[in-house]
Amino acid sequence: MSVETEARPRSRAGLALPGDEKLRFAIFAVLLLAAPFWLPLVGSYTDLGTRVLVYALAAMGLNLLLGFTGGLSFGHAAYFGLGAYGTGLMLRYVGPNMWLAVLAGVLLGGVAATLLGPLVMKRRGIYFAMITIAFGQMFYFIAVRWNNFTGGEDGLTGFQREPLALPGGAIHLTTVPFYYFVLAFFAVGAFVLWWVLNSPLGHAMVGARENARRLEFLGVRVERLTWIAFAISGFVTALAGSMSALLNNFTSPLDLYWQLSGYFVIICVLGGMRNFWGPFLGAAIYVLMQDYASSVTKNWLSVIGLMFILVVLFFPRGLLGVLARRRSA
Amino acid sequence: MDIFTRNFRRRSVLGGAAAVAAGSLIYPARGTFAASETPVKIGMVDPQTGTYAALGASEITGARLALDQVNKAGGILGRPVELLVEDSAADPGLAVTKARKLVNSDKVNFLMGSVSSAVSLSLNQAAEELKTLYLDTGGHTDQVTGTQCRWTTFRTCSTTWMLTAGNFRTLFDKFGKSWYFITPDYAYGHSLQKDYASQLAKAGGKVLGNALTPLGTTDFSSYLIRARAAKPDVLVNLTAGNDLVNSMKQATQFGLEKDMTIAGALIELEDLAALPKEARLGWWVMEWWWDQPNQPHVADFVATYKTMAGGKVPSGRSWFGFASLHALALAANKAKALDTMSVVKAMEGLALPPEVALQPNNPFYRAADHQLIANEFPGYVLSNGTYPDLFHVANIVPGSTIALSPAEDGCKMTYPT
Repeated sequence: MSVETEARPRSRAGLALPGDEKLRFAIFAVLLLAAPFWLPLVGSYTDLGTRVLVYALAAMGLNLLLGFTGGLSFGHAAYFGLGAYGTGLMLRYVGPNMWLAVLAGVLLGGVAATLLGPLVMKRRGIYFAMITIAFGQMFYFIAVRWNNFTGGEDGLTGFQREPLALPGGAIHLTTVPFYYFVLAFFAVGAFVLWWVLNSPLGHAMVGARENARRLEFLGVRVERLTWIAFAISGFVTALAGSMSALLNNFTSPLDLYWQLSGYFVIICVLGGMRNFWGPFLGAAIYVLMQDYASSVTKNWLSVIGLMFILVVLFFPRGLLGVLARRRSA
Repeated sequence: MDIFTRNFRRRSVLGGAAAVAAGSLIYPARGTFAASETPVKIGMVDPQTGTYAALGASEITGARLALDQVNKAGGILGRPVELLVEDSAADPGLAVTKARKLVNSDKVNFLMGSVSSAVSLSLNQAAEELKTLYLDTGGHTDQVTGTQCRWTTFRTCSTTWMLTAGNFRTLFDKFGKSWYFITPDYAYGHSLQKDYASQLAKAGGKVLGNALTPLGTTDFSSYLIRARAAKPDVLVNLTAGNDLVNSMKQATQFGLEKDMTIAGALIELEDLAALPKEARLGWWVMEWWWDQPNQPHVADFVATYKTMAGGKVPSGRSWFGFASLHALALAANKAKALDTMSVVKAMEGLALPPEVALQPNNPFYRAADHQLIANEFPGYVLSNGTYPDLFHVANIVPGSTIALSPAEDGCKMTYPT
């Protein structure tokens, strides 16, 4: 896989925050915080912003594995969907507690990734991709077949966002408060990823991507590293799935389907998988395309496909990767 | 700093450009309305890509035909009507997003659409949240007007129960009482089989057995051998899509149709036209049929539709889109208001006039569960037919004789106070 044999030692591009990066991050944060105010001004709406955050978080979770550790997972929809089902099932069958529901989703998806990690980590390249698809489809079929518990093919209905219990009283999660709810969890997820990548563990992951054999000679157990990356990545993607279930008040087996896994990979590649915020840009493009282009033409998927091909051919580091390189040059 | 501002400016530019393009694509309102009239907007969420794209296309064309007629006849409350179509790609999550966009940002007055049950269920729930009337055009699952019925949701297509009851009597009386099932192993298949089996038991018939086939089966021979060994009078094949094509092809190769009657529940003109010739056979149910020589207005509708759809004849799906858009306009004009509660109340009990119903027995939206009580068109596939003469309607079964009562289907309608 090209992901693994890449020899260029640009291991930590876009990770640390020196000087002007801080300013850039501050502007980015302000834009996110103010999104419910400026989105309607540019002809958009808050739910779309929420959707970008959900997809961005899922793709950033995947990117820890894909872009930074060098493991091409084609089955991340499984952990996204498990997060969604965990949250939905908790709200439906156990009780109207949002914190417990999110926790249930994150644990269901994250623990599944952690347990499957040992079976996945020994594989390389195409075999790694195939075994991740296989596990993903396994959960899809469980959700389809277990009719009376998951709602089967028709999806899980009968749950909805509940008022959020906070020390100061309950908040009704209507559109705008819910955006901030998701933004808060997005920040937590992004911080965890950023913190991991800036720790020695994260440097070792990048090392595994660049030259796994050398790392093994240095005494690092690459398989275990892959496992840890897979597990963390699963937890973060499950968190995104949990947010997705709450956004739609609904989840269906399509949230577990391989096609969604493919979209996550496309989002990462489109935005730039060597860049921490690359998947965010990719998710914004994907969601905007899905929203606007699909109102204009039913061939909106061709537009995304074309962009994907152009990016792979001409900007293998993704859109943000190109921008970042041009800046540093 | 440049990269972040640049990419956000890019987003807004992209969004703005796309919004302008979208505006020009909205189907133009016609007729003689003053330029100052603000249009009444109907949002339609339907699959334009993916597995159900062909069925979605028929619904959309039907709705556009109705839109033309409504606008020519003076629109809704004297205002022009606009139809905004969004692609659901048959994905329930995306459908909900699109519904929210239509209501919150495009400010549509009503929602309609859906081909698949999962999307109907998700829109059913979202519409109540949005306090917007949703007219389900084509998702069949019983729950939408049954256990999960909601005050904001109405439905034009039949329930799954009505699909099975549509040809049960015909099959039972004509071909015999011992049945065998080929059932795709997921919720829709199971519920169809359950519905047939309970009617069979009540009528004194017998289920000889069933073969559960996983979705995407290509080799049906072991199931077909078991079916032949059981020697049933009727072999009910409940598969759909590619599974239907494969199972029917192999059944003819085995010559099963010589020993037993092959039948099933719903079949759609679009699917039938796509089937290879050797797989076209058996007894099925249509929900509407274009060839009703004795029914006024049908021939006109077919002719107009053909010019709009490039020679294609309208299918059941086309009629769903057509009747649904008309029904919304009729209800709003009857209510003389656009607020959800008034239009819901006007739609309860609304009977479709003959030029909209295009079938006998005065279809109407039943007040208690919001289900349209229309007819079923059981019949058989013409093996040597050419498009569009692919199906022969044996008889027309009035929905009122087969639909479960609201008490039986489990609908308890509650309204906001």
